[in-house]
Amino acid sequence: MTAVGDPPRPAPDTRPAPGPRPDIDQFLRARTTPAKLRLLLVGLVVLCLVWGALAAWVVSQRAAGANNAVSSSETLSLDGQQIYRALSDADATAAAGFLSGGLEPINGTPRYRADIARAAAHLASATAAAGHTPAARDLATLSAGLPVYTGEVQTARADNRLGLPLGAAYLREASGLMRGTLLPAARNISAEADAQLAGASGQATGLPLALVLLVAAVIVGYVLYRAQRWLLRRTHRRLNVGLVVASVAGVISLLWLAIALTVARGDLLQARDHGSTPVAALAQADIAALRARADESLTLIDAQGDDSFQADYLAIQHRLGPGPGTLLTNAARAAQGSPGGGSALAATTAATAWYKAHKTVRALDNNGQHAQAVRLVTTQGPGHSSTQFAHLDGSLTSAIAADQAVFRAHAVAGRNAFTGLEIGVIVLALIMAAGCARGLTTRLAEYR
Amino acid sequence: MRARRWLSLPPLLAAAALTCWALPSSAAAHAVATHRLAPAAVRAAPACNPVASSLRPTGPPRVTPGSFMARIRARGRLIAGVSQSTYPFGFYNPLHGSTEGFDIDIVHAIAKAIFGNPNKVEFKAISDDQRIPEVQSGAVDIVAHTMTINCDRLQKVDFSTVYFDAGQQVLVLKNSRAKSLADLGGKKVCATAGSTSIANIKAASSHPIPVPVTNFTDCLVLLQQGDVAAISTDNDILAGLATQDPWTKIVGPVFTSEPYGLAISKQHADFVQFVNAVLQQMRSDGQWAADYRHWVGTPVPAPPPARYKA
Repeated sequence: MTAVGDPPRPAPDTRPAPGPRPDIDQFLRARTTPAKLRLLLVGLVVLCLVWGALAAWVVSQRAAGANNAVSSSETLSLDGQQIYRALSDADATAAAGFLSGGLEPINGTPRYRADIARAAAHLASATAAAGHTPAARDLATLSAGLPVYTGEVQTARADNRLGLPLGAAYLREASGLMRGTLLPAARNISAEADAQLAGASGQATGLPLALVLLVAAVIVGYVLYRAQRWLLRRTHRRLNVGLVVASVAGVISLLWLAIALTVARGDLLQARDHGSTPVAALAQADIAALRARADESLTLIDAQGDDSFQADYLAIQHRLGPGPGTLLTNAARAAQGSPGGGSALAATTAATAWYKAHKTVRALDNNGQHAQAVRLVTTQGPGHSSTQFAHLDGSLTSAIAADQAVFRAHAVAGRNAFTGLEIGVIVLALIMAAGCARGLTTRLAEYR
Repeated sequence: MRARRWLSLPPLLAAAALTCWALPSSAAAHAVATHRLAPAAVRAAPACNPVASSLRPTGPPRVTPGSFMARIRARGRLIAGVSQSTYPFGFYNPLHGSTEGFDIDIVHAIAKAIFGNPNKVEFKAISDDQRIPEVQSGAVDIVAHTMTINCDRLQKVDFSTVYFDAGQQVLVLKNSRAKSLADLGGKKVCATAGSTSIANIKAASSHPIPVPVTNFTDCLVLLQQGDVAAISTDNDILAGLATQDPWTKIVGPVFTSEPYGLAISKQHADFVQFVNAVLQQMRSDGQWAADYRHWVGTPVPAPPPARYKA
């Protein structure tokens, strides 16, 4: 040891440590004041810098989570829903074209084409948003399968125009591809994006990191306080400007962090509870309803001779509800208190009305009144199955849109709470370090 | 129409061995007769004569009180299990939005005999392998679905007299070199599940790979997409498929005999007799020939004669 002053005692490290815990006070007492000041200087600067790095890291984690939730995951989930909706409608529209007999209804072809165009557009934006997430594989399936599907539908249409029953076989083939491969892939995209969204939102709102930060803040504050008290006693100076500046910077950064994290967390939890959670539940219900609607159409053109579509309809009706544990009831509960809550509740009533209309359709079809059944499914009118379904679908989509808006507003607000925070805590930590250095070097200079 | 191709097959030798019914002199009818000779019964089945297994009608079709026909009349419609994809026997015509065909016209004739109105029918689309279960369960009154009468099926359901004679052949793309199932060993050959055709493909000595599907039009989709090398089933069905795709051809000999009958539940003997009476009327008043000309084409052979168990 090359101490500047005379050591009042022999250096403690020349003999074995007295216990498992070397006593810091004893160690400090062994030093001269300038040596202690120098040690304190290094310690405080390092502490301030570590604090700054830790705070910046925590903030960047949370901001990244919030950002992922708002931008990629949310876009992807929305795109997945839109792809499913467009493809399912394309399938049902193509089927209905064959149902009508004679030439396809004049509005059938543009609607089908618009559906395919919409699916392709969302496919492109989803592919951009997905990057290397698990959804990329499903998007590749869709990109490869969509042209095959449209090709088969075109072949079906050409054969149909010639009056050939072969057209129906191509339509069934196309529909099989759609329902067996493409729609499940579209459903996966939404599911994967929702899982991603939940992960991102958890990353942005989780408590453990915030607790780590709080503990670190308490340690920094305590050390700064003890350092100033020690200086006060040692040097009998009222104020050390450098350390005061460091303390003030520390308090500012702590307050900023506390406010930003609390506000962001509140907003993001709000976005989750009244936004993404009900939206995911509603979208699940809507996807199931769309599938049942396609079943209803396909049962009527069914040249396959089995009742697999009707069986599928009934299975979905069972899952869709309303009733305890069903998709619609879950969605209505999730949406309770959110702006989409009213529409979600209306959807449960609409579903029951639709099932009733569907029963009428089946009764007509099973009693040899096929044409009448087709009319109820393909045209609008009071009590028609197509009208009742439009109510259900309309309620679900408006509930989704309302809660989607809630999600966006809160999630964006939550994300914006982090604006400038990362740079801010770094700058403040540098000010703290500089303050400590300045304050202690001034004192040290007095010993020269 | 392509159907003519098989009807003008050169007559084979022992047409005469086929019993007592008078053969008309047209080549087509000879060809029809030769089907009977082909050893269709590769499957083990109880000894029976599939073409002479039905019940003799007691007279012209009459709806007697208490009969099954009376119950159908009370219900207001006849329920028939048919194909919607077997051109030209039973198919959904997308331009008319209705089910049509040779089989369908026979059902209309039966409805007319019951109700005086040929349109009091509910057509229920069923697949080949549902034909027997649907009849047995009573879900349909009758099945008119290019259904071969054989001893195996006669154990489970009753059949009308033979209303059409078919035989199995092979359909390939025009540029194919295959001439018969013998050239298709190891290749995929398509037919419907539950048909006699798929059983015959399985039994072929060249060991083609049978590909069972729901409808024969599904087979044509697979053939057009290059997923199967050939389709093998009754020549009249193949002719219907070839009409829908001119880039196909029927090849090889007729190697089975497939006499078509209408399937009816064993519980409704009175209905079997009634239907046989309707068929007999159609044979004699020229309706059968008119339907044949309309759906299958010319030349029109003599209708398969009615033969009964006793």
